[in-house]
Parts: sequence; C-alpha cells; structure tokens
Amino acid sequence: MSDASPGGMNRRSFLGAAGLGAAAIGAAPLLSACGGLKGTGTSSSDVLKIGYVSPQTGALAGFATADTFVVKQITEALRGGFTAGGKKRTVEIIVKDTQSNPNRATEVTRQLINSDKVDLIVGSSTPDTTNPVADQCEANGIPNVTTIAPWEAWWNGRGGKDGEGFTYTTLFFFGMQEFADCFFPMWQRMEVDNKNVAALWPNDTDANAFRQGLGPMITKAGHQVVDGGAYQNGITDFSSQIAKFKASDAELFTCTPIPPDFQTFWKQAQQQGFKPKLATVAKVMLFPSEAEALGGLADNIATDFWWSPAHPYKSTLDGKTARQLADDFAASSGKQWTQALGSIYSLFEIAVQAFKQASDPKDRDEVASKLKAMKINCMSGDLDFTTGPKPGIALQHPVGGQWRKGTRFPWDVVIVDNTANPAVPVGGDLLPTNA
Amino acid sequence: MQWINALVQGLLLGGLYALFATGLSLMFGVMRIVNLAHGDLAVVASFLALALVGGTGLPLWVVIVVTVPLFALLGYLTQRVLLQGSLSSGPMATLLVTFGLSIVLQNVLLEIFSADTRTLDSGSFATSSFHLGPITVGWLPLVTFLLAGAVLAGIGVFLSRTGLGRMLRASSDDRETASLVGADSRHVYGVATAIAFATVALAGLMFAVRSSFDPATGPSRLIFAFEAVVIGGLGSLWGTLLGGIVLGVTQSIGSQIDPAMTLLAGHLVFLAVLAFRPQGLLAGRTA
Repeated sequence: MSDASPGGMNRRSFLGAAGLGAAAIGAAPLLSACGGLKGTGTSSSDVLKIGYVSPQTGALAGFATADTFVVKQITEALRGGFTAGGKKRTVEIIVKDTQSNPNRATEVTRQLINSDKVDLIVGSSTPDTTNPVADQCEANGIPNVTTIAPWEAWWNGRGGKDGEGFTYTTLFFFGMQEFADCFFPMWQRMEVDNKNVAALWPNDTDANAFRQGLGPMITKAGHQVVDGGAYQNGITDFSSQIAKFKASDAELFTCTPIPPDFQTFWKQAQQQGFKPKLATVAKVMLFPSEAEALGGLADNIATDFWWSPAHPYKSTLDGKTARQLADDFAASSGKQWTQALGSIYSLFEIAVQAFKQASDPKDRDEVASKLKAMKINCMSGDLDFTTGPKPGIALQHPVGGQWRKGTRFPWDVVIVDNTANPAVPVGGDLLPTNA
Repeated sequence: MQWINALVQGLLLGGLYALFATGLSLMFGVMRIVNLAHGDLAVVASFLALALVGGTGLPLWVVIVVTVPLFALLGYLTQRVLLQGSLSSGPMATLLVTFGLSIVLQNVLLEIFSADTRTLDSGSFATSSFHLGPITVGWLPLVTFLLAGAVLAGIGVFLSRTGLGRMLRASSDDRETASLVGADSRHVYGVATAIAFATVALAGLMFAVRSSFDPATGPSRLIFAFEAVVIGGLGSLWGTLLGGIVLGVTQSIGSQIDPAMTLLAGHLVFLAVLAFRPQGLLAGRTA
C-alpha cells in the first residue's frame, strides 16, 4: 500500500468530517438525479400538458405508490382525446418527483413551468408538496389543484387572505372540523369511564395545527385533552408520554405522529401497559403497509378514511367505480389499494373538467377561474370548490374505519362510522382497540 | 417514581445507542474512517433479516444468528474491495466513499423493497414486560442492554487477549511499524470492519424489532451513534457504553421535564462534552 500519513486524522478532523457529512446528508436530494417519466402524447399543438408533482421517493414515498398506475389509467381513459374549446385535444402527463423535499418540489415545479411549458399542474401529498407547488403556480400564473394536505396547512402556510383567496391555486381535502366530525362520534359510541383523551402530538406543523385546532374542539365536546407534550419527531423512547397517559387513565387516544414514530410508540405503549380502549389516529395507519408492519397490534386501530373501495364514487372519465379502480390497481401492481389512489385519480379528473369547461383550454386565467368555480361528482365524491371554508377549497368528509384482518390481503379496512358522510355504507361494528 | 422510571427506561435505551455506536467507534478508532453509511447499513441488515424471515420462514432468532455473521463477512469484503483503495487518498476520500455508499444503499433498498414501513415481528417478545416494583421493564430493551454489554465485553477481550486483537491495536496505533513486524494491515482492517458490521447489524435488528424501518431511516439513526461516540470518548469501548447510557438517560429525563426537550437535551449534553471535555467522558488513547 502507498504511504499515506497514518493516523492523519485526529479528533478535531473527525468532528469536522462528521459535520461535513451531516451537511452533505442535508444536500443529498440535490445530488441525486432528476427523476421523471413521461406519459404518452402527440406532438400536435392541441396537446394539453398536465404536470404532476408528488413524492415518489424518500420518506413520503408511501403516498405515491399508486402514481404510475393512476397516470396509466388516466392516459388510457383519455386515449381517444376529448373536445375542449371547439377542438379535439389530447393530454400529455409529465411526472416529477419531489424526493420528499419541499425545495426540490419548488425546483421541479419551475422545470414544469419553464422547460416543459405545461398548461396545468396537479400535485399531491402533504403540505411539503402542496405548498411549494402551489406557491410556484400562483407566482407564475399556472392553474393548479392539489390534494392530501389539511386545508389549514395549505391556506395558513401560504398566507391566504380571508375573502380574497388565491387566483390560480385550489385544493381539495379536509381540515380540523372534519377530523372532529369523524373522530368524536366514535368516541361517544365507545363506552368509557372517563372523558380523558390522550393526545400524542409532536412539535411539527401538522401536530401543532391539531393542538391548536382540534384541542379546543375536544374540550368543547366535553372531553379533556391529556397532551403528551410537543416532543421532536424521531425520538426513540416514549416512556414519559406513556407514563403521563397511564396516570390519566385515559381510555381514548388520538395522535398525529410521523409513521415510524407511531410504530415505536404503539409497541412501547403495549409493553409498558398503556392500552387505550379506542385509538383514533390521524396521519398514520393510512396505508396497509403500516398495518402490516404493526402486525397484530394494528387490530381495530381506527383512522379517518376519505376514500376507500367501499365509497360509492365513480370516475367522470370512464364511469369506473371506486371498487373497480382498487381491484384494477391490485391486479396490475399486486398491491393493496391506498387512499391516495382515489385522490390522485381525481386530480386529473378535475384538470380535464376545467379544460373542457374553458372556452380556450390554453387560456390560463380562464382555466384557473374554472377550477375555482368547479363542482364535480368524481372519484373523490362530490367536490364543490365554491362552498369551502375559504375560496378555492373543496371539502371532503372522511368517515371512521378500523383495520382488521383481511381475506385477500393481511389487513383491510372496515368502515365503522359514517356519521360524517352517510353516503358511505358501514361495513361493520365499532370494536374496542384494546378490549 | 416517574423519575426512576425515566432513569431506568433511559438506561436501557442507552444500551441500544451504545450497541449502535460500537461499530462507528471501532472503524474510526482503527482505520480513521468516518462511516456515514453506518445508519443505512443497520437498515440493510434489517431488510436482509426481513427477506430471510419471509424467504425461509425460520424463527426470528435464528435469522438474527445468521444475519450477524453474514454481515461480518460483508464487512470484511467491503473493507477489502471498497474502502481499502480510498484509504490511501486521505480521510476525505473515505468519507465521500461512505457517503456515496449511503445514497446508493438507500436507493437500492427503495428500488427492491419500496418505501413501505416494515418491522421485524418478534411476536409477543417486543411488547412483553415484567414489573419491577411500580416500574414496567420491557424484555426487549433489557435484552438489548445486556447484548450491548456482552458485545462490548467480548470485543474488549478480543482486543486485549488475542493475537489478532493485539495486531489490530498495533495497526491502529502505527500502521507502518505494525506492518514491519508482520501485521498485514489490509487483513487487520478487514477484521475490524467485519466486527463493526456485525455490531451494526445486531443494533439494526434490535432497532427494527423495537420500532420500524424503511429505506430512508438510516441517516436519522446515525446522529445518535455519533453523539454516543463523542460523549463517551473516542477509542474507548466502555466509553461508548457510557456515552450511549448518558445520551439515553439525558433524553429520557429531558422528556420527563418537557417532551419538547427530549432530543435537545441529548444534543446539549453532546455540546457540553465537546466544549468542556472534548476528549470524551472516558478518554481512551489519544486518537
């Protein structure tokens, strides 16, 4: 071997190196290659380009499991083209990956606008995607619709002004009130000895919105919040929270942690003897993979479902039902449906609808105004962008579902409470999480 | 009583941190390699075990017994094939190699296993516990703690009592002089990396049973290992255990005072050690 200086690194350079490494970890997304796959399309001038931005890799990748499938479905459904503005149009979908990084989301949105010259941008999953994408679209005057982010985070996080709203950007999802409408009826149906609700809310945007929004609603509904405290995401031990919850004798539990933290917490809670009678969780247990990872402990954990195969919804593009869409997804990917499937599908339905309604689908201002005035009965149910809590927001109404052992897949969802949206059929009784 | 509970849980958590930090400490101590892929390697081990459980249907403990030596072998090969070449180009080259490895591993895992959250299912073991007075002690954290102690003791005996261990220490102190008296530094480094990989695999598996993992979890775990190494003192095996325990207990006590303090408390102790006792609590030989 060559004679490099042996032991040339001392403690100080170790730390320097470590610090540099940490900085490098932060910069990782910049180094990775730019992803993106193109949908089919023709080169005619009557092609309408839709940009789609989502987190296909990284920590949020679970939301994007169905992306490829949905893009294929939409492309197939629109194969024959459609008439908009008196001409036959075809659609080209350009997909971009945020790598779960908000800065990258901004960058790819700019690429879509400046290089790909898209006519409309749709985006999905968490405020980390929806907000930077919407901000870019608003600044550059590109019509935009996003989903899967609580509307408060989308509105307040972007400095929305009451009464005015945004010109080019719209959102469909739900907010704190809808979480309350979904969870509270289940709490009331569960017979509990005291009114305490244990709440595991970390110190991040989502959870702080719950603390400030849902917290007072819980109190108003006659319950008492036992706040586990604003811990930082990524901690490995929940002993102090569990001790606090145990001391309060809370039988109801709610939370908004990041998914890996919930896995740690829930196992530790079992280990240290905190077994709430009913757990209604938000932000976690949205995907079957999470239930699978928890194994037996996932049984009868309840969460909010804004879309499931049981929802009585249909596609505006080809009349496919929610059940068929989920089955097709399972058949083509071998994977179980996720809630994002319906939401992402609807993004494109709404985009196509806005194109169709506009007298000139290439006129961005007109398309944007059609988005803001949209009323559509689609794969995500009845969406009305004119009657939301703020301009340009359409509300969905999630229902309560519980994870149970499935037949076709290891875990499946049974809708147990439809108080918030009676159109969705109930599939079974509400059962205690820990009997 | 809550304080004693926090102390006990923190102590047990410290065992996991120590187990996790051992490999990092060893690789730096012997080869001056700062392994930025340390956290990702732990995740790779978890996925390997997951694939073995799924593929063979063997019970988890058998899979762990198989995975750890497999990883040791992998460590030896990684050192000989990948890291040895970059060693001669100075510390920055190895740093970049391990950084690259970290990115490659994350993306390969994502490609093969998708972004789904996984866990290693140990049945009721992960959630079973026993009562020690008013305190509930989980079997899993206890076993992890004992394993950490046993692993560190084992490495300690290996380094001080065996010929290979002595060669390892000699190469670490002065590679060229050690080569003069017949130590093949490449082989010795390979052995050190093998041990490091074995410990990180074990730590990764315990982590996986305790919580969950996905291809992106590696880097967030690396920071705890770094802190444990620095708090305990570089080059000291028992310092690593102490560092892990100090970190675990600080986090746990901090969390008891205010949950928002959990990670911050750990970082503050880390900073305090750097400022006032930069050689670490139990300084080994000077690196």
